[in-house]
Amino acid sequence: MARLQLKNVNKRWGSFVGVDNFDLDIADQEFLVLLGPSGCGKSTTMRMIAGLEDVTDGEILFDGKVVNDLEPKDRDISMVFQSYGLYPNLTVYENIRFPLKVRKVPKEKHDDMVMNAVRMTELEDFMHRRPADLSGGQRQRVALGRAIVRKPTVFLMDEPLSNLDAKLRVSTRAQIKNLQSKLKTTTVYVTHDQIEAMTLADRVVVMNAGKIQQVGTPTDIYDTPANTFVASFIGSPAMNLVEGLLKDGVFEGENIRVEGLPTGPSGNITLGFRAEDAEIVDGAGQIEAPMYSIELLGEASMITWRLGGALVSIKTNKEYRAEIGDVVRARIPAEICHLFDTATGERVAL
Amino acid sequence: MKHSSFFWFVLPSTVLMLLFIAMPIVSVVTQSFYTAHEQVILEVENCGPFGCTQETSVDQEATAALREAEPLGKFAGFDIYTDRNHLAFGEVAAAWVKSDGLPDFGSSLMNLPFYKALGFTLTYTAIVTPLTIVLGFIVAIAVNAVAKSLRGPTIFFSLLPMIVTPLVGSLILFWMVDARGILGTGLQWLADDPNLSVKASTGLMWIMLMVYGVWHAAPFAFVVFYAGLQTVNTDTLESAMVDGATRWERIRYVVVPHLMPLVTFVALIQLMDNFRVFEPIISFQASAHATSLSYAIFNDLGGETRLLSSAAATSVLTIIGIGILLSPVLVRTWRDFNR
Amino acid sequence: MSSIATKQTPTVKILANGFLIMWLIVAAFPFLWTLWGSFKVEGDFFSKANWANALFGTLTQSETGGSFTGAGYYGAWVQEEFWRAVMNTTIVCVCVVTISLTFGTLGGYALARSTYRYAFWFLLFALMFRAMPPITLVSGYLLPFFEWNLWGRLSTTIIVLVALNQPFTLWMLHSFFKNIPQDLDESAMVDGCTRFQAFRHVIIPVMWPGVITTGLFSFLLAYNDFAVTSMLLSKENQTMIPKIASFLGTTQTKGNVMFAVSAVVSATAPLFVMVMFFQRQIVSGLTAGAVKG
Repeated sequence: MARLQLKNVNKRWGSFVGVDNFDLDIADQEFLVLLGPSGCGKSTTMRMIAGLEDVTDGEILFDGKVVNDLEPKDRDISMVFQSYGLYPNLTVYENIRFPLKVRKVPKEKHDDMVMNAVRMTELEDFMHRRPADLSGGQRQRVALGRAIVRKPTVFLMDEPLSNLDAKLRVSTRAQIKNLQSKLKTTTVYVTHDQIEAMTLADRVVVMNAGKIQQVGTPTDIYDTPANTFVASFIGSPAMNLVEGLLKDGVFEGENIRVEGLPTGPSGNITLGFRAEDAEIVDGAGQIEAPMYSIELLGEASMITWRLGGALVSIKTNKEYRAEIGDVVRARIPAEICHLFDTATGERVAL
Repeated sequence: MKHSSFFWFVLPSTVLMLLFIAMPIVSVVTQSFYTAHEQVILEVENCGPFGCTQETSVDQEATAALREAEPLGKFAGFDIYTDRNHLAFGEVAAAWVKSDGLPDFGSSLMNLPFYKALGFTLTYTAIVTPLTIVLGFIVAIAVNAVAKSLRGPTIFFSLLPMIVTPLVGSLILFWMVDARGILGTGLQWLADDPNLSVKASTGLMWIMLMVYGVWHAAPFAFVVFYAGLQTVNTDTLESAMVDGATRWERIRYVVVPHLMPLVTFVALIQLMDNFRVFEPIISFQASAHATSLSYAIFNDLGGETRLLSSAAATSVLTIIGIGILLSPVLVRTWRDFNR
Repeated sequence: MSSIATKQTPTVKILANGFLIMWLIVAAFPFLWTLWGSFKVEGDFFSKANWANALFGTLTQSETGGSFTGAGYYGAWVQEEFWRAVMNTTIVCVCVVTISLTFGTLGGYALARSTYRYAFWFLLFALMFRAMPPITLVSGYLLPFFEWNLWGRLSTTIIVLVALNQPFTLWMLHSFFKNIPQDLDESAMVDGCTRFQAFRHVIIPVMWPGVITTGLFSFLLAYNDFAVTSMLLSKENQTMIPKIASFLGTTQTKGNVMFAVSAVVSATAPLFVMVMFFQRQIVSGLTAGAVKG
């Protein structure tokens, strides 16, 4: 059980900045997700927590104790790697026992602990196989089992689901969530998949280009994205963003005009709204433009326009029919809109 | 990886390489500026009834003592580099003045040991390297075209000339081209000259050495290219086909560009290896017709009088040659790395 | 892979097959010829009268009574004590391969895992060292080795060969270790190993294919060396290759050449066997550097 603090942590390679001034407190028993596109520094941050990467600047503290100079083995962590890092020459049982063996846990305790982990990860039937004879999902569970066999103070997971197929990913995700709530171990989880982040996290850290973009609960991040990067990264589909001019509470862009917005801010503004918040109307609407495409998603249809440079999509019922090129209108109420400064990308307070 | 663990992991290799590669280079460079002590001469005046005569004799003891005390010899500066056996500035200048026309100058250069060795080494490198690549490429394409079941044995036999010890491989060829061997007889029959002998002809000797070089190195090029051919993107090949490319166009525009990095790799390795050509000259007993830089060093070192300084100077010149040869590669790697 | 794109027309097939047969003759025939000839007398092997004598052994028949003779082998192995050279070669090769691989795996592993700039420089220097002809270095060894009385010994030669092998070994093992996922040793370190324990418990069990391949090439380098062994070994410590060369140097008494021929065949045989058993590893080793370079 541990509280994790990162104080102005930096990672640089020569002139290249991998992680820029990362500052965060992770509470005991928290499930924290680092989310961002590849190369944003999220894995590097985790590897610095693990001690696999040197910290260029700043401090990492476990329960108030600086661990910068500790070897990974001395940090009392366990980690699940993207490609699992299973030992190919050892059986499943031996793989899971390995941490106990090298940490000189008394031999007589091994079997109980390993079997406990095996049960929790439902690997009873595969204990004596080698990793090469396992499916992707089973290997993933071995990696999980190896991580939980000891009770470490921190779990680290580096994109543990990215090598699984879509279906398995959903079930394993649930399993991870369940395991963590049982074990109550502080967990840091790295992913580029926002759905994983939303479903698993107590708090999400959105990162881009080495910098923290926003920290918050999944709801916070979804409802009030701090900038256009977060807005365009979170949600499926991502938030629609249209550039235009805001003046006296009226936003105007190509083929779009929204009234009733706050009168405070003005100038070049990017207007954001979510596809599921707006609706298609027959009468007058805020968007009025020829349709670019229509896609049937199953439970709904997605209508897309081209407004200026941006593609804007809105969800509608699956029975809706229109031809590409037809003029289609949509209602965008002012209360669903988010405003961002076009120049900085930062959210404009309403 | 942490600096300290890196240090301990590479320590044994580093120590060995420093002691036995870096230090010898330093030692060679130093040695090349010194020359062996001359013998200590004693002058003794013998005065007899018919007057005094000066007699000189070698003081063996003093000579040995001097050589013992300063094994490096006495400092000679660049003298060894410029003497007749190396860069031979004086002789080259004289030849330049005397010669009429470049061919004449060239042939007088080839009478100087260093230029003779350099000339053969460079010719050998320049001819064998491209031929190796071409032959290796053709064999690779051919092996790729035959039935799968034949490929294993083909690769097995193809590897032999490369794997076999150079000295031994070249001996085997040498015995065959001997005037009394099967190839030698074949050549005599072809040229319709019963007295034809590879041993006696400089031109034939050069050709034989190069034939050996290609024979020895082509398997390496072949294996590398063959492995490269297995990774040619079938999608690209098929799309080239759909786009209407003929067989030759497919090789020209898809296969060859795919293999280009490998060509560079093979060329680099071959340049390094061909520049040190050595064993075949021993096996072919070719030193009258062709010597190489490596052979020149070996020749100085061997024998009763070990001409350490002379060998060292040739070594330094060889190392400089390697440096020039490799400089494009080094510059490129440097640029790639800094990008 | 038998799609239309890779299918061959009959003409191409015939051309390819014809060319290959020619190449195979060029590559393999000299060995077979010499192997056959090594069981003849010199007069047949080098036949003034008729090259076909080497095939049928006309003189061998008249000189020894059979069409094959082991005289060359007897002369080389017993009379000239070639077996001594074989023993020395065995000692040198075993030691060189073992030491090279021990040092090389440690260094190659570190080079593959270090992300720092100096690892790159290290490899670049190794490449430059690889380009040095061994004979140029030999002229640097002689004087100090004479001075310190190290010359002529097998142990000195072994260490020198190991050192000359290192650049190559490091490059090759480095590229093999790069192919072992980093997750493996990192998870071991998280599980509680030091760097060295991770190497020992986790990397060593999975590194054998690469090590065997590299070992084959170290073996070849040691086995095939002439420049170093001929200059650094005293006569009684000679290995096979300088010994063969010395057969040539001695005056050409009758039959002496046949000693050399049979010694050459004896020296080639192990290589032959090696290619037979390790063809796959050799091919993968030759391409390991190339595919990434």
